[in-house]
Amino acid sequence: MTETDTRRPEWMQEWDPVIAAIGRDFAEGDVTWGADPVEPGAIRRYLEPLEFDCPLHTDPQAAAAAGLASVSMPYTGVISWTIPVAWNPGEVLFDSAERDAQPVITRINSPELGIGPRTTGFFGTDIDVDFERPVLIGERIGRRGRRLVSCVPKETGVGRGAFLTWESDVITTEGEVVARIRVGTYAYVPATDYEAGPAEPSQAASDAQQARNGGETA
Amino acid sequence: MSINTIRYAEDVTVGERLPQVDLPLTVYRLVMAAGANRDFNSIHHNTEYARSTGAPEMYANTSLLMSSWERCVRDWAGPTAQFDSIRGFRMKAFNTVGTTLSVHGEVTSCELGQDDARVSIRVWCESAGRVSVGPGTVSLRLPRREQAGPG
Repeated sequence: MTETDTRRPEWMQEWDPVIAAIGRDFAEGDVTWGADPVEPGAIRRYLEPLEFDCPLHTDPQAAAAAGLASVSMPYTGVISWTIPVAWNPGEVLFDSAERDAQPVITRINSPELGIGPRTTGFFGTDIDVDFERPVLIGERIGRRGRRLVSCVPKETGVGRGAFLTWESDVITTEGEVVARIRVGTYAYVPATDYEAGPAEPSQAASDAQQARNGGETA
Repeated sequence: MSINTIRYAEDVTVGERLPQVDLPLTVYRLVMAAGANRDFNSIHHNTEYARSTGAPEMYANTSLLMSSWERCVRDWAGPTAQFDSIRGFRMKAFNTVGTTLSVHGEVTSCELGQDDARVSIRVWCESAGRVSVGPGTVSLRLPRREQAGPG
């Protein structure tokens, strides 16, 4: 470790094990399957808040005219349709009546790494997707692998944490790759947990962008 | 041009702007989106919780924002466009409730091939007077008119 490294703040050094793990597949090749196959009702609900009027996603005849075997999922659905179930039979999801209590189990946020600092804040920062083909009704998709591509510790306006980039294949149950996805996230300890006052939000965005510009490795 | 209209490669002009899509970010819309795209993180539908994480307000989730790019491009490109990639989808600022998200696009290239054309579109979102997402690039393929046959 260099002289400069020893002057790095302690919170930043806590990320060193994660930096050392760049290249590792934290899912060890496992597939995280989406909760359900693609079906018309879920597509409709996806389109509604967007007021997204495209017959490829609703009209079998229009889909056929476009050369598809059936109605297709919107391309960007590769995120939603690979989110696993929120609850399994036998599990307790809510054990508190507090207004803002969180579910006992959540599979949305970034899973614990098992190394590095414990973070409670999390949000997505950027995504790149390559599409191989449209996903059709009846198909079920999942994300195979979760390879860490980069880790850049950074204090932003919202807290102290690191920008992480993850890479996965989106596959069907037959194992066909239908998309490749690279997701950037920021995992952090909120500033409100170690400072008296709240952070300046507009600075968060500026800091986040600055860090991304300097930390892009994907 | 309606969403049902086929856009051919020969119809594309580099530099042309796509019709802007405006999406007012109400609590109602954010809740509908969270329920539909299954990103139930409380930062996207709970002001109090979002503020506890350092954000100024609840804000639009990733799927809602990325699918707004798809809608903007699809509205323009029509049903025969095949998406190849989305690159540079970078969320620079919170798209908070009570603002209007506007989605913009501009054609940056159109390379004609024998059967189709590869088209690149620069896409970005604006919210509260600044660019909040992107600019990134949506790459897609459009059919050539002479390849499409009658009709």
